[in-house]
Amino acid sequence: MKRQEKIRNFCIIAHIDHGKSTLADRLIEKTGTLAKRDMQNQLLDSMELEREKGITIKLTPTRMLYNFQGEEYELNLIDTPGHVDFTYEVSRSLAACEGAILIVDASQGVEAQTLANAYLAIDNNLEILPVLNKIDLPSARPEEVKKEIEDVVGIPAMHAPCISAKDGTNIDQVLEMIVKEFPCPKGDENGKLKCLIFDSYYDNFKGAICLIRVFDGQVKAGDKIKMMQTGKTYDVTEVGIFVPNPKQTEVLRAGDVGYVACSIKTIQDVAVGDTITNALDPSDQALPGYKKVQPVVFCGIFPVDGAKYQELKDALEKLKLNDASLQFEPEVSQALGFGFRCGFLGLLHLEIISERIEREFNLDIITTAPGVTLKVKKTNGEVLNLSNPSQLPNPVEIEYIEEPVVKASIFAPPQYVGAIMELCQDKRGIYKGLVYLDTQRVRVDYTLPLSEIIYDFFDSLKSRTKGYASFDYEVAGYEKSDLVKVDILLNGEKCDALSIIVHKDKAYSRGRNLTEKLKKIIPRQLFEVPIQAAIGNKIIARETVSAMRKDVLAKCYGGDITRKRKLLEKQKEGKKRMRKIGSVEIPSEAFMSILKLDDEDK
Amino acid sequence: MNSIYVHIPFCEQKCKYCAFASFDNQFDQVQKYFDALQKEIESSTFEFRIGSIFIGGGTPSAVSPSFIAEILKAIRKKFDVDKNAEITIEANPNSLNEQKLKEYFSKGINRLSVGVQSLENKQLKALGRLHNKTQVFKALKAAKKVGFKNINCDLLLGLENQSYHQLKKAIKSLKKYATHFSFYMLQVEDGTPLKSMVEGGRIKLPDDDKVVKIYHKLVSFFRKQGLKQYEISNFAKKGFECLHNLNYWARGNYLGFGLGAHSFVGDTRWANASNFFDYFAGKKAFVEKLDDKQVAEEIVMLGLRCNLGFDLQQLQKFGLDLENNDHFQELLQNNILFLQNGRVKINPDYYGVSNLVIEKLIDF
Repeated sequence: MKRQEKIRNFCIIAHIDHGKSTLADRLIEKTGTLAKRDMQNQLLDSMELEREKGITIKLTPTRMLYNFQGEEYELNLIDTPGHVDFTYEVSRSLAACEGAILIVDASQGVEAQTLANAYLAIDNNLEILPVLNKIDLPSARPEEVKKEIEDVVGIPAMHAPCISAKDGTNIDQVLEMIVKEFPCPKGDENGKLKCLIFDSYYDNFKGAICLIRVFDGQVKAGDKIKMMQTGKTYDVTEVGIFVPNPKQTEVLRAGDVGYVACSIKTIQDVAVGDTITNALDPSDQALPGYKKVQPVVFCGIFPVDGAKYQELKDALEKLKLNDASLQFEPEVSQALGFGFRCGFLGLLHLEIISERIEREFNLDIITTAPGVTLKVKKTNGEVLNLSNPSQLPNPVEIEYIEEPVVKASIFAPPQYVGAIMELCQDKRGIYKGLVYLDTQRVRVDYTLPLSEIIYDFFDSLKSRTKGYASFDYEVAGYEKSDLVKVDILLNGEKCDALSIIVHKDKAYSRGRNLTEKLKKIIPRQLFEVPIQAAIGNKIIARETVSAMRKDVLAKCYGGDITRKRKLLEKQKEGKKRMRKIGSVEIPSEAFMSILKLDDEDK
Repeated sequence: MNSIYVHIPFCEQKCKYCAFASFDNQFDQVQKYFDALQKEIESSTFEFRIGSIFIGGGTPSAVSPSFIAEILKAIRKKFDVDKNAEITIEANPNSLNEQKLKEYFSKGINRLSVGVQSLENKQLKALGRLHNKTQVFKALKAAKKVGFKNINCDLLLGLENQSYHQLKKAIKSLKKYATHFSFYMLQVEDGTPLKSMVEGGRIKLPDDDKVVKIYHKLVSFFRKQGLKQYEISNFAKKGFECLHNLNYWARGNYLGFGLGAHSFVGDTRWANASNFFDYFAGKKAFVEKLDDKQVAEEIVMLGLRCNLGFDLQQLQKFGLDLENNDHFQELLQNNILFLQNGRVKINPDYYGVSNLVIEKLIDF
């Protein structure tokens, strides 16, 4: 018991950009865990892309030693991703802690993710310590925001430290409160082993590594352990802690946060949320809260250069090593050739993966319009789970279609309520309620089809509210919906990769929009190219790309053939990025363009 | 055939659309330049019999004819110039006079290429040309009087407020003097004043469809006038095709002398540096030896620019087998290409989109 009294396991939660990573950096610096010269800004966000986007995706725990009133305390910081796509991962990280620091921007106040994350922490019975950040900004209004936290989140905030993580102001106060306010772990060191896996990563030498919080018992190298969900057993080869780099230790005991390595071949064998116990002396009950993570957003990914299919496969496999939630399976498109249908936790996840493929593996890819999994009840009683629009059965064979919906909460100043409601209505939302948080802010609740928010809902929301609105959602089951498939025909031939599934009421406008957009993107060819949008056999929109009339009748001056040949080679190179649908050549951008449709609706 | 190109990089005023190696502020370099040019010719290691010489620019007529005379003398001394060789000089109407033309003619120059560009004074002014319509005819009359029998007029297509009617009228009146017309489409090149004029909306050029419509009308007008189209942009009375240009398309050897000049011998292309400093130092802009694939690309690209076409079997030697190329068969079926005595030629209606056609063929 005595040992655990000197341990504090906590996490930091916040709305995006409220300063989570910066505070983490300051804590690490202040406790001397890393010398200042070793600090890279926002150390915990280790991936380049994360640093660029300013968001944390991967969790990296860190143990810090802090001397308080003559006693040395072990503070384990478990960082959490701040994006709605990763809610489940956040919840497991929270479950590994006793306390949570809730950072709130002292000028912006409570935002959608502040609340969503605070509720997650409350659900996990954590002690929450509010902290007001960015106190150095002239627009900071700490007293009002404190009141807002009390009113909206419903936790006491009057004694919340006012800090500037950027300048390092009042960081000591935060450290002190971590020790004073957060409870210590109270596990049974001699009980049966129970560890929560809250994350995992892949190490080339040691295999998949489990990041764990030990609740009861102890674990050391040589132990035989069992994963309670998957039932698999392993021999522990190494245990250790993060300082913040992995450091081998002899044993991890109740209350500790660290890692277990046991030569697990793939990260898919490690389920986040699973409980590790001792295989020879197993616990009879697993820790609560385990869920199998299911992707919600799907799209096709194809190499721009068809010959690079294998390279794309290798890239996806490498990414999957460290990302158990990424799913993919081979897909063949008439238009795009061989590629993969991939499943993601959300749009951000999709974006990150596709950018990493392009950047880290130097591959040009085409991503098709993201979609959701539909439940299709056929007239013959069969139920299909469809994540690929091109596989939707003929309309006559469909009894009904269900699509996933989400419960969405939007926070904004009251003057934008009209604009928000208009947007939600436009996105087929169902109004659920409106709550005044104070005179400055309201919360608008809607049920929305998931497919409507995965396009550019957030961008439209921001532009309609001048950036003042924040948004959070959770997936909330399936509902029947009147959906149809809109196909695109080029020169009379259907282009499967351009098919989209939309609500019947929007089919005409989307079809028209799509053909207009394609007309702009498809270059003129030697012959005229009709572009049609169709529902089944019914044409709902048509545009025509007229035939190419001239390229350049330029002077080939003074025998400068080289320039001309190079121009031609460049054009030829550009052609490699083109896809051939029947006799029509279309640039890869065409496939991307349908993602951006909504901007031009307006 | 072997040819020689000589580049004269001086202009009284650079045209707004010009992206070639020419300068309107370097006249103090003229003497030094011609010295260097002479030295370059003298030190050439090639021993060719020469069938055509082209003195281009810039504006060759912008410098004293004595410089031109010196250069021709140097070429004749160094190379065996055929006595029937086609010898062309480029000139602008405003820098031509009877005296100058006489000197050219007496030195064996037998073809004159006049930068007419347009007969609309407004258009000429907008392009930054220094001449007007009156000067064009004055120059042409003088040329005829001096004895020039082979005269080309360069015209530009795609100018502001240009109509087919204007061009038809222009061709009719120029035809009294000219035996050859070059019709180039105005191109808006990066870094030219024209580009910023277009971007700034100070000049409004007609769109592609309109230009192409005029182009096709002109092609049939030329035909009616007895001027045969033998290349995308070139039209001539029978027997007045430009041998020098044809040699480029036929991939004959040519030596380029002067700043920025290009040469091609065997399977190697090279070009001189295109600024005075590097040119004087004898530097090259590049030297490239073509591989089989590049040769094949060139054969197609150049052959389809003109009515020469290309030899299918010759192409095979360089590894491009069109017989089994779907695009090729498709193009034949659609009468975009046709076969004539083992040569593949382009249907003149498709000159305007030859790049598209070429691209399809060299897709290997």
